[in-house]
Amino acid sequence: MKTKSETSGCPSGGFPGKILSPAIFLALANTASAHTEKGAVGGLESGFLHPLTGLDHVVAMVAVGLWGAFLGKKAMWALPVIFPMVMALGGAVAVLGVPLPFVETGIALSGVVLGLMVALTIRPPLWVAGVIVGIFAVFHGHAHGTELPEAASPLTYAIGFVIATGLLHLCGIAFGLLTKWPWGTIAIRIGGAAIAVIGFLFLFKVL
Amino acid sequence: MSIDGNLKSTLLGHVAVEGWSDIANGAIHPFFNPAQIVVLLGLALLLGRQIPLRVKGPLIVLAASSAIGLGLTLAGFSLGAPIPVLTGIALFLGMLTAIGYGVPDAVILLLCVAAGVSLGLDSGVEKGEPVTIAKVMAGTWISLNLTILYLTLATSNATGKPWAVTGIRILGSWIVAISLLVLAFALRSNGA
Repeated sequence: MKTKSETSGCPSGGFPGKILSPAIFLALANTASAHTEKGAVGGLESGFLHPLTGLDHVVAMVAVGLWGAFLGKKAMWALPVIFPMVMALGGAVAVLGVPLPFVETGIALSGVVLGLMVALTIRPPLWVAGVIVGIFAVFHGHAHGTELPEAASPLTYAIGFVIATGLLHLCGIAFGLLTKWPWGTIAIRIGGAAIAVIGFLFLFKVL
Repeated sequence: MSIDGNLKSTLLGHVAVEGWSDIANGAIHPFFNPAQIVVLLGLALLLGRQIPLRVKGPLIVLAASSAIGLGLTLAGFSLGAPIPVLTGIALFLGMLTAIGYGVPDAVILLLCVAAGVSLGLDSGVEKGEPVTIAKVMAGTWISLNLTILYLTLATSNATGKPWAVTGIRILGSWIVAISLLVLAFALRSNGA
């Protein structure tokens, strides 16, 4: 009797195969494209990975979504709208070669401040939250803009970069939705505290 | 008729699939051009989130202006709109979508003209048999306009749900961010 994978004519047609085949292709694509960042696909890949490769950036992006979800419905969606636009502005300034002082300090502080806001359940008016997030977004954008690789396709790099940032916000929002349950609120506050600690570690150059 | 070998290399950023008809090869062109995708998405989001939905006028204007843009490439005008032009239009579209207020019809029509002409100019074919070029362009034109129509209606269907409305605004903000970065890159390249 033939197995499912044999009858399908595909050696990896079974359940594990279905998962493994794309993984193999992805792995192969990765090793091949690691040679260069040129071209649309290279730009998209490096742009997408860029915000994900720095822990200080990752925790701050997640904190934006988390704080937004914690502040309520309006903020949950307003902050992730504000952040990418202001961040891109900071990135554009950096691409144009305009310097900004204390960028790394600003990024580390973003983790500390946003994490503490969540941990201490501080709920400022929406516009105040928007200004705070906007200020930190400039630092993050500037750092990313300064580090943008010359070789990448700018458009696809920007697409990957913005999508990854947005997805990190969505991770924070998803985590923040746990506020529906009492234990969830505690978990979120612990998450906020963890983000603040990571921010402190970056601030004092421990990480 | 399959696309001829000469044309394969002369389609501007076109991906030509061997064995596919010229119309089909023209139709897939916008989906392999990131700048065009961003403009298409931005325009569809803006049109679709208008309440009440007013698509007839804008889509007629878009169809006409994209046909004019494609026609201009035949007359020897610029083959390929510069990426800053397309992303500049996308920036406006994304900003208006992200802000979330109603947009006057005149502004929407103006943006449709700008987007249509630019997309058309960016989809030209440099050389080839006239019949082949016409078929490729027809495919691109149909694809551009049907894609906008479909995405606009899909966006409009989502406007009943509050989370989807905010999702549309977030997508608009992403388009703004992408466009800003690309424009900065272009400015730096021109300055260098």
